[in-house]
Amino acid sequence: MSDKAKKMTKVRHTSTGPRYKSSVGDKVFMTLNITFFVVFTFLCIFPFYYLFINTISDNDLVNRGVITLLPKGIHIKNYLALQNVSDFGNSVLITVSRTILGTALMVIASGFAGYLTTKRKMWHRSMWYRLLVITMYFNAGLVPWYLNMLGLGLTDNYWGYIIPGIVAPYNIILVKTYIESIPAELEESATIDGATNIQVFTKIILPLSKPILATIAVFGAVGNWNSFQDSLILMANSPNLYTLQHRLYVYLNSSSNLANVMQSGGQVTAAMLNTKVIQYTISMVTIIPIMLVYPFMQRYFEEGIMLGAVKG
Amino acid sequence: MPLEKKKTRADALYILHRVAILLACAAVFYPGFNPGRITTQISRYTSLLTSCVSYHALVGNLGRVLSKGIVQAGTFYLLMGASIMMVVGIILAAVGGCMSVGNNLMRRKGLRYPLIGSMLMAGGLVGIRVAYTQIVAADSNRVPPNVSMGFYLFIVLTALILLTSLALSMRKQDEPLEEKLGMQEEYHLFLLFLPFLALAFVFSYLPLWGWRYAFFDYTAGGTLSAENFVGFKWFTYLFRNAATRRDLFRVLRNTLAMSSLGIITSWLPMLFAILLTQVNSRRFRRIVQTFTTVPNFLGWVIVYAVALAIFSTDGFINSFLNNFLHIDAHTNYLMSNSHMWIKMLLWGLWKGLGWSAIIYISSISGIDPALYEAATMDGAGRFRKIWNVTIPQLMPTFFVLLLMSIAGILSNGLDQYLVFSNAINQNAIEVLDLYVYNLGIGSGQIPMSTVVGMAKSIISVVLLFGANQASKALRGESII
Repeated sequence: MSDKAKKMTKVRHTSTGPRYKSSVGDKVFMTLNITFFVVFTFLCIFPFYYLFINTISDNDLVNRGVITLLPKGIHIKNYLALQNVSDFGNSVLITVSRTILGTALMVIASGFAGYLTTKRKMWHRSMWYRLLVITMYFNAGLVPWYLNMLGLGLTDNYWGYIIPGIVAPYNIILVKTYIESIPAELEESATIDGATNIQVFTKIILPLSKPILATIAVFGAVGNWNSFQDSLILMANSPNLYTLQHRLYVYLNSSSNLANVMQSGGQVTAAMLNTKVIQYTISMVTIIPIMLVYPFMQRYFEEGIMLGAVKG
Repeated sequence: MPLEKKKTRADALYILHRVAILLACAAVFYPGFNPGRITTQISRYTSLLTSCVSYHALVGNLGRVLSKGIVQAGTFYLLMGASIMMVVGIILAAVGGCMSVGNNLMRRKGLRYPLIGSMLMAGGLVGIRVAYTQIVAADSNRVPPNVSMGFYLFIVLTALILLTSLALSMRKQDEPLEEKLGMQEEYHLFLLFLPFLALAFVFSYLPLWGWRYAFFDYTAGGTLSAENFVGFKWFTYLFRNAATRRDLFRVLRNTLAMSSLGIITSWLPMLFAILLTQVNSRRFRRIVQTFTTVPNFLGWVIVYAVALAIFSTDGFINSFLNNFLHIDAHTNYLMSNSHMWIKMLLWGLWKGLGWSAIIYISSISGIDPALYEAATMDGAGRFRKIWNVTIPQLMPTFFVLLLMSIAGILSNGLDQYLVFSNAINQNAIEVLDLYVYNLGIGSGQIPMSTVVGMAKSIISVVLLFGANQASKALRGESII
C-alpha cells in the first residue's frame, strides 16, 4: 500500500521545477495556459451535462428546445420509461453479462497463459509464444473473420461474444512481463517443497500479480461494455442479442423505429413518445456506469498505458 | 517425480496417432465437416458439436417435415444419439492423445482410451448411416439426402485412430514401465498451454483460410467449387472496372487524408502534456486529467450520441442560438458534407487527446530533476528548459508512437466512420475499413471485399516491418 502511494505521488508531482519568478510574459503564458485547460476540460464535460439535464427536465420543455443550460421541471420518469422500450432490458442484460463473464474468463486465461509462457522448460516455448505475439500485428480482414465465425456457428450466438475474447495476446504479454519481474526464488522454493505448477500459480503467482490482473480487468471490462462492432456484424439477425451500444446505435439511426417500438409497448403516454429524450436517456444509461467507476479505476488505466509503453 | 532425462523417440506411429486425434478434435467444431448432415435440410452451420448438444438446432428447419410425418422423429433422435456417441469417443481419444506424451506407463495406460473412443466413433458413424438410409427412404424432394465430406473424413480418422492404437498396444514392450504415472515437465507444460494456442489458432490464423474466397465467384450461401474458380479475376476487376476503380481511389484518398491529418497532429498530445505539467497546482492537473481522459472510455456510438445532442437540428447549438441570441436556427450540422476530414480529426482529438497525453505526462515525471537544475544554473528560463530538456527527453516516445501510426496508416478503424456516416457525407467519410464493411457485410460482395481486405492486411504488415527496420536503423531498437 505505502509503496503504491509513493508511486502515485511521484506520478502526481509532474511540475518541471521550482516556481518561476513572475515576469509579465510568464504571467500571460500561465493565464493562457490555464484558460486553455479550463476550456478544453469544459468541452469534455459539457456534452454529458447537456445530455443529462435534458433527460431529467420536463419533456415538453425539452421538446420545445428550451432546456439549454439548466434543468427545469426535474423528474426521473424517462429512466423509468426505459422498461417500456422493448429489447432495451435485453441489451442491458447481454452487456452486463458479457462484461462480467468475458472479463473474468479473459483475466483468468491471461493470468494462466502468461504464467505458462514464462516457463522456459515448455516444449518449443519460444515458437508458441512467437505465434501468439504475431497475431497482434496482422489480421485476415473483416470478411474472412466474419466467414470464420459463421463457419464456427458463433454468429447469432451469445458465445460469439465470449469465446473469441478469452485469449488476448497483448494481455498475456503484459502478464508475462510482470511475472518475470517477480523474484524467481519464490517460485523455486515452492517447487522444492513439492508444489505442482498449478499450485505455484494459484498460491504464489496469482496473489502477487493482482495489480497487473486488475489493470487488464478494467481495460477488458471497458472494452466489453463498449462493444459494438462484434454485435453489429455477428448478431445482425438476432436483435435479442444486441449489446447496449448496438441498441443505442439502432435507436439513434431510426427515431421512427423507436416510436413504433414505444407504441407497441403499450401504456405509453404522449410525453413518453419523445424519441429524442429516450435517445438521450439510453445514452446516459450507457455512460453513467463508466463515469461512476472511472475515478476509482483511473489509477489502473494510467498504469496500464505505461505498461504498454514499457513493453513497446 | 523422478527426473526423466531420456529423450522420447520421434516415433512415426505415435505422431500419426496424435495427428489423427487432433484432426478429429478440430473437425468436431466445423459445420463443414459435420458427418451428421444427412440431409441438406439440416442447417449448413450446424457442427457435430452443435448437433450433439442441441436437438433444437438440429431439426430447426425440419419442423414441417416432421409434423407431416415424412420423416420419423426417431431418425433424428438416432442421429443425435450417434453424434453424442462420436463426440464422447473423440473426447476419449483426446485423453489418450494427451497421455501419449507421458512416460512409458502413462502411454501404455493411455492407449485404452483411443481404442474405446474409436470404437464409439465407429458406432456413431454406423448410427449416422442408418439414419441416412431412413432419410433416403423418405420423400427425396422434401428431405434431399446428403452425404457430407465430414462423413468420409471421419471414416478415415476413425480407422486411423483405431489401427494406430491397436498397432501401438500390440507392439512389443522393450522399455521398462515406471512405478508411477508421470510426464516430462516440458510436455506437461505444453499440454497446459495447448488450449490457449488452439483458441489463438482458431480465431487469428484460421480466418486466413478465408482468403480463398478472393479467388472464387462466390455469393453468400453458395459453395466453392472448380466451376466458380476465377483465379485473379477480382484483383484485376478492381482496376479494370471504372466504377470500382473510382470508388477505390476515393476511399484511398479519404483514408490517406485522414490518417495523414492524424500523423501531422500527433505532436499535440505531447504539447498537451508539456503545458499541463507547467501548471503548479496538483489538484488542477488532476481534475483536468480526469475529465479529459473520460471520453476515451466511451465508445464511438456514445460520441455520436453526443454529436447528435449538440449539433443536430434540435441540439444544443440551435437551442442556444434560439434561446439566448434569438436567432432562428434549424441547421443539422451533421447532415453536411463540408470539411469532413477536419471534423473527424477534431472528434478524434476530443475523444483521445487527454488520454494520449498521459504517456507523455508520465514520461515527463520520469525525467531526472538534475537536468532541470543544471539548466536553471545555466540561466535557462521556462521555455528554454522545455525546448532543451523536456522535448529531447520525450522524443524517443514520440518517435515510437509516430512510427506505429505510420504503420497503421491504412487502418483508421470502422466505428468512428460508420457511426458518423450518412447519405450526404458518405463520399468524404468512407475509409478503407468502412468500404470493406459496406462492400462485404452490407452488399454481400464477399470476393471483392476479401480482395480489398487482403491487400490492406499485406500492405499494413509490410509497413509495420518497414517502420521497425527504420526504428532499428535510426535508434537501434525495435518497436515490435
